[in-house]
Amino acid sequence: MQITCTINRKPCHFECEPDQRALDVLREKGMLSVKEGCGEGECGACSIFFNGKLVNSCLLLAPQIQDAEIFTLEGLQKETETIRENFAKEGAVQCGFCTPGFVMRAYDYIEQGGSKNEKSLKEALDGNVCRCTGYQKIVEAILKSMT
Amino acid sequence: MYLRAKDLDDAMQLITEHPDFLLICGSTDVAVQLKNQKPVNGIIDISALNELQYIKIASNTMVIGALTTITDILESTEVQTHLPLLIAAAEVFASHQIRNLATLGGNIANASPAADLVTPLLALDATVTLGSQEGERVIDLEDLFCGYKCTKLDHEIILGITIPLQKHLWYYRKTGVRERLNIAKVSLSMIKNSKGYCISGASLNPYALRFRHVENLLNSSDFNDEKIKEALELDISPSGSLRSTKVYRMRVAFNMIKEALSGFTAL
Repeated sequence: MQITCTINRKPCHFECEPDQRALDVLREKGMLSVKEGCGEGECGACSIFFNGKLVNSCLLLAPQIQDAEIFTLEGLQKETETIRENFAKEGAVQCGFCTPGFVMRAYDYIEQGGSKNEKSLKEALDGNVCRCTGYQKIVEAILKSMT
Repeated sequence: MYLRAKDLDDAMQLITEHPDFLLICGSTDVAVQLKNQKPVNGIIDISALNELQYIKIASNTMVIGALTTITDILESTEVQTHLPLLIAAAEVFASHQIRNLATLGGNIANASPAADLVTPLLALDATVTLGSQEGERVIDLEDLFCGYKCTKLDHEIILGITIPLQKHLWYYRKTGVRERLNIAKVSLSMIKNSKGYCISGASLNPYALRFRHVENLLNSSDFNDEKIKEALELDISPSGSLRSTKVYRMRVAFNMIKEALSGFTAL
């Protein structure tokens, strides 16, 4: 199938199979911040912005991004600079595999005017899983990015 | 094969031409199905049907378009004001990323016994409007299901869900292995309005239905724990699954009914 969309502000045109996932085509196109963790919508490592909404790209079929506006972390380097610096400063990274997904969710949460209340933030992270750090440092890094 | 419907007429024509194809919108369920190597005959993507994404109030009912996402529902002040039960269930629906993609129509059409929003809608006496090239028909949501992951949709598309608005008390509770991204081991939705009790629960039957025996018993006002248990056993037939056991589900469903009776939330 022929797909036309915008990825990180650039018009894109590519060929895909009907049962391919958005995750697969984005990685094929070199967007390696988009990670495959669980592949069934539980871990959030593959989070991307799809027409302004954060979604799991493992649950989105590639043909569905026809005419869509897609952002991956590669296209949000400037916007997420503070968040990424705070993840580094707070030690909110161990193996790093989940980090792009958490940074995307943190950016999404802050942009939507999310509360600084720790409980609200933790609930907002319900779609992202980290198997190394135990979350506290991630929460602290995001809270720090909100001040 | 992957077909993209341009509008509602186009979608209905595609369904007629390809009755064995699967309708998708958010694709959060079908993507997992494909991953688990369960192929589908073909796909009709209806996500471009923006006319089915709305929430409106008309003559004492709320009408929610089938393509309304779970996030749309959570953010709707109308739903927050009139249907807090639906909000309570939507809050613990999957995760933020999935709520952004998943639609109310999809949650219904997938017909999972664990579907989070189906049983609150059953307790709220919802009806569904179905459309096809033949026309439209309205049926009770309860009459849509006919087996495990099975619906009576007949070359039809779910257009919208209509919920009567009236004063009621409500209760909602969901249990599972964790608080979020949690497929229900058991959930219970219970309403008390001027006509009496309306009860439904997830993961307690092969498909979602109302608990009529318990409702009738509670409406009679002549009940005790033993009678509730007996009625509940007539209403539910939980199976043991990967997520839970039959004994757990029976006991927790009973406990939830007791909890609801002791502390409803008023609307």
